[in-house]
Amino acid sequence: MGKTTYKRLKGSQSFRQRLLLATLSSTPIIIDEIRADDMIPGLLRHEMSLLRLFETVSDDCVVEVNETGTRLKYKPGIVMGGKNLVHSCALTRSMGYYLEPLLVLGLFGKKPLSIRLKGVTDDPKDLSVDTVRNATLHILKRFGVPSEGLDLKIEARGVAPEGGGEVLLTVPNVQSLTAVQWVEEGMVKKIRGWTFSARVSSDFEHSMRFAARGVFNNLLPDVHIFNDHKSGPHAGKSPGYGISLVAETTAGCYISADTAVSCGRADETGEIDVERQERKPAEDTGVEIASWLLQEIEKGGVVDSTHQGLLFILCALCQQDVSKVRVGTLSPYGVETLRNLKEFLGVTFSFRPDPSTGTVILTCVGSGLINLSRKLS
Amino acid sequence: MAADDLMSSQKSHRTRKSGPTMRKKSEIDKKKRGVADNKQPNPRAFSVRSVVKAKRLKIRAVEKEQRRIHLPTADRTYGEPPPFVVVVQGPPGVGKSLVIKSLVKHFTHQNVPEVRGPITIVQGKKKRIQFVECPNDINGMIDCAKVADLAILLIDGSYGFEMETFEFLNIMQVHGFPKVMGVLTHLDKFKDVKKLRKTKQRLKHRFWTEIYNGAKLFYLSGLIHGKYSQREVLNLSRFISVIKFHPLSWRTSHPYVLADRLEDVTPPEKIQMDKKCDRNITLYGYLRGCNLKKGMKVHIAGVGDYSLAGVTAFPDPCPLPSAAKKKGLRDREKLFYAPMSGIGDLLYDKDAVYININDHLVQYSKTDEVNGEPANKGRGKDVGEDLVKSLQNTKYSVDEKLEKTFINLFGKKTSASSERKLEEDAQSSPEGSDTESSEEFQSGDEVDDHEMDVDSNDGKIKEKTELRGGRLRRKAIFKDEDSDEDGDDDNDDEEAEDAESDGNEDEDEDGEDESVSDSQDSDEDDVEESEDKVLGNISKWKEPLKEKGRKKNPNLMQIVYGASASSATALINENNEISDDEDFFKPKGEHSKNLGGGLDAGHVNSEDCSKFVNYGNLKNWKEKEVCEDIRDRFTTGDWSKAALRNKNSVAGDEGEDDELYGDFEDLETGEKHNDHENMESGTNEDVEAAERRLKKLALRANDKSELEDDDNDNGDGINPRNSEAKEPGFVDKLKEELEIRKQMNLLELNDLDEDTRIDIEGYRTGTYLRLEIHNVPYEMVDFFDPCHPVLIGGIGFGEDSAGYMQARLKKHRWHKKVLKTRDPIIVSIGWRRYQTIPVYAIEDRNGRHRMLKYTPEHMHCLAMFWGPLVPPNTGFVAFQNLSTNQTGFRITATSVVLEYNHQTHIAKKIKLVGHPCKIKKNTAFIKDMFTSDLEIARFEGSSVRTVSGIRGQVKKAGKNMLDNNAQEGIARCTFEDQIKMSDIVFLRAWTPVEVPQFYNPLTTALQPRDKTWTGMKTFRELRSEHNIPIPVNKDSLYKPIERKTKKFNPLVIPKKLQAELPFASKPKNKPARKRPDLDARRAVVMEPEERKAHAIVQHYKLMSKVKINKKKAKEQEKRKAYEAEKAKKEVISKKRNREERRERYRTEDKQKKKMRRGQD
Repeated sequence: MGKTTYKRLKGSQSFRQRLLLATLSSTPIIIDEIRADDMIPGLLRHEMSLLRLFETVSDDCVVEVNETGTRLKYKPGIVMGGKNLVHSCALTRSMGYYLEPLLVLGLFGKKPLSIRLKGVTDDPKDLSVDTVRNATLHILKRFGVPSEGLDLKIEARGVAPEGGGEVLLTVPNVQSLTAVQWVEEGMVKKIRGWTFSARVSSDFEHSMRFAARGVFNNLLPDVHIFNDHKSGPHAGKSPGYGISLVAETTAGCYISADTAVSCGRADETGEIDVERQERKPAEDTGVEIASWLLQEIEKGGVVDSTHQGLLFILCALCQQDVSKVRVGTLSPYGVETLRNLKEFLGVTFSFRPDPSTGTVILTCVGSGLINLSRKLS
Repeated sequence: MAADDLMSSQKSHRTRKSGPTMRKKSEIDKKKRGVADNKQPNPRAFSVRSVVKAKRLKIRAVEKEQRRIHLPTADRTYGEPPPFVVVVQGPPGVGKSLVIKSLVKHFTHQNVPEVRGPITIVQGKKKRIQFVECPNDINGMIDCAKVADLAILLIDGSYGFEMETFEFLNIMQVHGFPKVMGVLTHLDKFKDVKKLRKTKQRLKHRFWTEIYNGAKLFYLSGLIHGKYSQREVLNLSRFISVIKFHPLSWRTSHPYVLADRLEDVTPPEKIQMDKKCDRNITLYGYLRGCNLKKGMKVHIAGVGDYSLAGVTAFPDPCPLPSAAKKKGLRDREKLFYAPMSGIGDLLYDKDAVYININDHLVQYSKTDEVNGEPANKGRGKDVGEDLVKSLQNTKYSVDEKLEKTFINLFGKKTSASSERKLEEDAQSSPEGSDTESSEEFQSGDEVDDHEMDVDSNDGKIKEKTELRGGRLRRKAIFKDEDSDEDGDDDNDDEEAEDAESDGNEDEDEDGEDESVSDSQDSDEDDVEESEDKVLGNISKWKEPLKEKGRKKNPNLMQIVYGASASSATALINENNEISDDEDFFKPKGEHSKNLGGGLDAGHVNSEDCSKFVNYGNLKNWKEKEVCEDIRDRFTTGDWSKAALRNKNSVAGDEGEDDELYGDFEDLETGEKHNDHENMESGTNEDVEAAERRLKKLALRANDKSELEDDDNDNGDGINPRNSEAKEPGFVDKLKEELEIRKQMNLLELNDLDEDTRIDIEGYRTGTYLRLEIHNVPYEMVDFFDPCHPVLIGGIGFGEDSAGYMQARLKKHRWHKKVLKTRDPIIVSIGWRRYQTIPVYAIEDRNGRHRMLKYTPEHMHCLAMFWGPLVPPNTGFVAFQNLSTNQTGFRITATSVVLEYNHQTHIAKKIKLVGHPCKIKKNTAFIKDMFTSDLEIARFEGSSVRTVSGIRGQVKKAGKNMLDNNAQEGIARCTFEDQIKMSDIVFLRAWTPVEVPQFYNPLTTALQPRDKTWTGMKTFRELRSEHNIPIPVNKDSLYKPIERKTKKFNPLVIPKKLQAELPFASKPKNKPARKRPDLDARRAVVMEPEERKAHAIVQHYKLMSKVKINKKKAKEQEKRKAYEAEKAKKEVISKKRNREERRERYRTEDKQKKKMRRGQD
């Protein structure tokens, strides 16, 4: 036991989950060949930033990266949590990238976590902070996380490329998570939305709202989209606007879709992302996201495809009871998650497709992870 | 007359006038007569006199009630429970084995010659017991305490309690207290009945104080023909069988196996080459605690941590009888399994079952006329018959065959070889465990080849051995064959490669499914291919099995987990092709970039993004008919249809896997066609009904458990019934919730097939497992002693990494000395035993952890130590000495882990002492306090103090204010007043204490069991060994303080001052006189009366003086006499004491000798 045995992994795929699961299961890992053949080899800025974030919230973790950044050695420490932590995220990815693992990590800390993240709040690739606040946190509550102390406060918006946003995340710590039986999707009873605009005219918001509401006209009257126009120091450093829609069902499921529009973010090579170069008008964005939400609703499942990974992780971390959840078609990220869960926690899911609705019911026995670092009083 | 006499002599009957019966009678009589019972109890006697007191009483009652209630724990053991472990413990020579023997005899009617290792028996229709004898050394006791469900403590009644019993009790207490039962033996040594009764009483009460009032203490009165009397054994067995076991928290969260069999499966030639090579072993035992998942690491007590190379579920060697309705057990169901004791008829291995049959019971049936090809013959016959006959078809002995066999490498088998194998299975190893170590059983998963050239008499033979599929196969390649063999060698190799890879894949799958999956047909899997051609008909019986194995239609599970590699690569290839067409020359990294977000699930460097957005093919949701598809998903739609949607899924069947596969693919390509819209409205199962049923089940189970609880609680003397009825509150609700959850779990898990079930929940508790472990030190096998339990415990997440732990520790009250910081102790914590170096501390009021040099005498303190982490709230027990010949109580401390951490926060006081070297008004330069200016910089601003109490502050290094060549480490300090050069300046501070990062696992299983394990020694041991005196700091010794009497100079008042003083205060300087003055010289002449009075006073004084003197003399005389008397008495008592002691020593010595002889 004197020597630590490392689990060897390859490539940069599912980097966040690997770090998260390695920390939770306290497995030291070595990741080799991280973009070894790429033009820009090694860890990217946001990945380094994520590592720093893990270092901030945990104690005595060891991170070694080789010169080119293609090899990472990570020995997890004890998740401490704590108050008044600050982390400035790399601007290459938005806050959603960091929040997803951090939410789970915070649950298993020694102390309740309260951290201020600075950087890009919304971008089209990751979850928007509005979605995290209005959909993701509700998913956590399903697993027995107390609702007091679970909060995300958006203090300033910031979009790519300059960022400048600020959010305050508080996560309580738990002893263990309770297993769920969550197969009832229910019917969508209301749709809520949040638009924001920073450093641009609030007209963009209005047109997005108007367009999005138009899509739902046929289906549901209870649609309300709030707007959040920011200016001054709260608006961050770059202009942009975005929308996040959440559909709440009668069974307490939250299905979300979101996006943000901003100036193209300069890639590390210096060239600007090609697809994002030409921006759509705000109306189109609104319609697109509204349609996407309906698409997600059509797919079925108790969560949308974006949250599948989180849902599976939470299921796997539960007590040793059977969890049963229903999701729509498995997203690639979800599949990736399932594999990682098997590798790190040894949790295997069983699948039962439900052809009549096109959904899959997943069943697993939780790994029985207990928050060991909590002090005995 | 005579009759009269008789009458008169007889006493007339006197009716009883008192006693309970009469009282009752009189009451009834009164009632009959209608006399009103006017004797009312004093109503004020029961009224509330003091509100405060009543309140207090009520509170107390409620608290008592609450104390009884404990939080219900979730029971996650489904299915048959493993046999309960009954540990029989006691000091040496108290009759442990005899108790086990007689119990086993009672249950199974079998005689056990000697008790070695666990003995499993079927005790009832639903109950099995595993008896374990606890060895006499402390390591064995620890391991036993960790696995015991019930501990039977044997106590020699004629001798009384011995330390072992209490040590064992204490060990059990910290590792979760299993049930305990005491048994007094050797009671036939008492001749005096009264003394016997007294002793029983005394021992019972002592036992009760240790456990709880009313703990069961059983008496075995004595031996009859070297056995305990049957009646008493029967009673004891009844007590054992009615005991209920409650779950212990550590055990319910960790899987563990008490091995009842150990085999060495190292390849024999490896051992031949190097006797001390690392061994591969297999361990067998029932899985207990919680479910064991595949990737789990385990700790073998006394050896170390290992990862499991293979886990296989086995058919139960000692199964419970089938659940037919009948009373009691039939004789043949009274099974019995004790492989280490060398009894029991069945032995299971991964690919074979050995049946031990007595020779006189064996009758060989006649084989067919033609012996040669049994395979071709048996057309219409039973397959099993053929199989048996083929087994009998052995002409040659094993050795002969070995010489002649052809062992083909890959699948092509000659008949002889396979026959040999079968034969071996049947014949070679029924003797038992000991002989098997030399057999050729290989590790299941490893495949390695050895090639050996052997020169034998019939030319050159090449020998090739291969380890594969759990067997050793040695290919003998003869010279004549060699040529053509060589010819297509390459070809063969390729084939081999293919075959191997195939095999490997199979094995991999098996490995992942852990091959256990199908416990009934796992045995055949490896062999089947090879035997196919040879045994022909015989192999038929396996065909269905084979088919079952092959025909597994790919389901989602395989797509996600199993065949991930293939599917992913296929995807990538597709993409690559496309891109290759377009631009062949491209920088390396560009490919992956173009693949874009999320599509390439299998690619190692794909982007980490949870969103999978494809806006390209969005439907136009503004159109009404498109919306109609999902209309029912909204509250505005059809509610009944929506309800149906949720229901269907519950009853969804598993036959749709393929269709689902289609679904999955859809997503990958990004399009979606829901072509199976066949709504299965006719579902037979209703959700609500199911739920209702579940609840019912839960309730029923709940009631049962409650009843059990009541039974348990009744022992404590509190009647819970009334309270139960009163309060159907929180606890009951919790219980019900737990039960519902359990039923739900069962419902879900029962839906799955066996393979997936093991995948998902791991091996269930109660399964008989074969654990394969690679590369254990050879000593474990060499020094294996079946009498010592082999405990294999699972390690949870994070428990294999080391860190600092903080524990609340208390020195055991029976340990004579306090513990010293940094003296190594041996702790038993979790499954492990290791030596570590603790630092003791105590928490100050301000939350600081102050280091203690020694543990407090009667108080808890904190202990920090380094070691493999365990979850908080785990108890542990500490020792300093494990040797058996120690006289005192060996447990030094008991403790519980509070927290773990990666750093420690212990501080100790430090006092820096300095002296002023230069003083300027309130500023002083202090030397000797610090060694360098750097150090001063660290302490800037800290407060200092002189002995006289003048406070100050460290300012800065004073180098620049002194002359140039001033030494380093002189600090400038300011004080509230000027200090003196003779002052000493103190700086009081706290310095962190480091806890040594040391821990040393106890490898007691890797050495002879009778040797005591030695690790790091304590200071005391080292000193006494090397004859080093205890270092003494002279300055710390107390010395008599010699103070010079201070001589003060005469007071001198300055002249100026003198002149100003008033006359009264002025010193009156009188010149010294040569002669005494008049007052002194003057004679006094008394008046006659005065003289008289004076004389009288003088007389009185004289008288009293004389009186006192007389009294004193008298007292002295008295004391002298008393002293003389005392001295006399002392002499006598000394003499007596000496004799007594001598007598005692003599008997003790005798006993010791006897014991030593007994041990030898």
